[in-house]
Amino acid sequence: MSAFFRLAPALLLAALLLAGWEAYCRLAEVPALILPPPSGVLRALLTERESLGRHALSTLQVTALGFSLSIAFAFATSLALHFVPWLQRGLMPLLVASQTIPLVALAPLMILWFGFGLLPKVLLVILVTFFPILLSLLSGYRAAEAAHLDLLASMGAGQWARFRRVRLPSARASFFTGLRISATYAIVATIFAEYAGARSGIGIFILTAKNSFRADLVLAGVVASALLTLGLLALIALVQRLTARRFRMDVTHAGA
Amino acid sequence: MLALEGLTVRTGDSLLVDDLSLELHDGQVTCLIGPSGCGKSSVVKWLAGVLAPGLQAEGLVLLDGAAMPRPAPALAYQPQQDALFPWLTVAENAALGLSLRGLSDRAARAQVRPYFATFGLSGCEDLFPDQLSGGMRQRAAFLRTMVQDTRFVLLDEPFSALDAVTRMRMQDWLCARLAEAPRGVLMVTHDLFEATQMADRILVMSARPGRILADLTLDTPRHLRRDPALAPIRQTLKSLLLEEDPHA
Repeated sequence: MSAFFRLAPALLLAALLLAGWEAYCRLAEVPALILPPPSGVLRALLTERESLGRHALSTLQVTALGFSLSIAFAFATSLALHFVPWLQRGLMPLLVASQTIPLVALAPLMILWFGFGLLPKVLLVILVTFFPILLSLLSGYRAAEAAHLDLLASMGAGQWARFRRVRLPSARASFFTGLRISATYAIVATIFAEYAGARSGIGIFILTAKNSFRADLVLAGVVASALLTLGLLALIALVQRLTARRFRMDVTHAGA
Repeated sequence: MLALEGLTVRTGDSLLVDDLSLELHDGQVTCLIGPSGCGKSSVVKWLAGVLAPGLQAEGLVLLDGAAMPRPAPALAYQPQQDALFPWLTVAENAALGLSLRGLSDRAARAQVRPYFATFGLSGCEDLFPDQLSGGMRQRAAFLRTMVQDTRFVLLDEPFSALDAVTRMRMQDWLCARLAEAPRGVLMVTHDLFEATQMADRILVMSARPGRILADLTLDTPRHLRRDPALAPIRQTLKSLLLEEDPHA
């Protein structure tokens, strides 16, 4: 019951927006070439489902690989930066600067340097998603309660024991927040990389559709991208919930 | 006996504790009282080896006449809040000190389980701290402290977060536990009634910079301490504190 009522406002609003869009297209007789109605986009989704499914799978593979590597790199980097303060002072400005590089400039360069294979796309996903995860981990480590750290210190716990028993569990809620933020960028970054140069993927599907003046297929690609992102977010929420037995705090206070 | 000699704590140019010395005896409860900000908690935290990094401290701790390393195996510390880890079960929380002192996590949990009944926590072993009442949480924290089986225990305002009724129950309960298994206790409190109810000795600290102003020994058995006979000593303590309170 609670899940239904939680989702009801979003579903109702989405239904109203789609109905308004459909009504506008029909009443104003907008050409489908410019703005296809939702029913047209749905039709395109159904007729092109096989092709779109193939491309979406390709996008998903790149995203999954890039995102997984990004989490691993972010965790390893967070350990290094946490335990070596001078490294954090030296590296953080560079990492912040890396986030200011426009994707539109970087994506074609990646293709130029690393070709049309998997590597440039995975690198781009890592570059876009790495930083929010890293920041969320570092701020989570810092959010550990002083009383918990003092208690362990009084028991003779060393730096690693204090990290493993207090800082790491304290960072859990913050880590999942970072994951959710990064997940919303992950699919978009992959599509952007494909757009800059690839053989398959939703980016290529959208590019081909745009070149054929098929606005309905472009929007079908957008819908597929949104669905993949929602799927990724749902997966993260599921992992958070399934591993929450020992972490009652972020289930009760932050939601999943 | 544990002796603290010449403790001075400063923060920048400001002196927080000034050349303070005290002694703790085995099996004796010593309460440390004093006005707000006089450095009571700093004394206990320094002994526990967890003084905030911004504070500079110097002094000497002697255990039976020899210099004591810190953090010391002879000391268990309980911070102001219960400091239970919300992601650990009550049994895992209680076993924390033992596992950090060398036991495996499993062996440490097995070692604390028999104490759950004594600490009024039967059936709570696998619950999480947010499933316990305030008094139960405090008992779980005491269990974690006491199972470390150290000669001396440092308690920093252990009952300050509890409501009045739970606090009185917990004071009686802790006195009973200490009667069964005596430890040398240094307890910081701001509650005169609590100090006169629980202590064998009361050390009164001055306003900042803190030093020992009075050292009172209570000979009345604990079970008689609600008697009006204690009124004069409470009055003495009250007068001392009111004189020292900078906001008076």
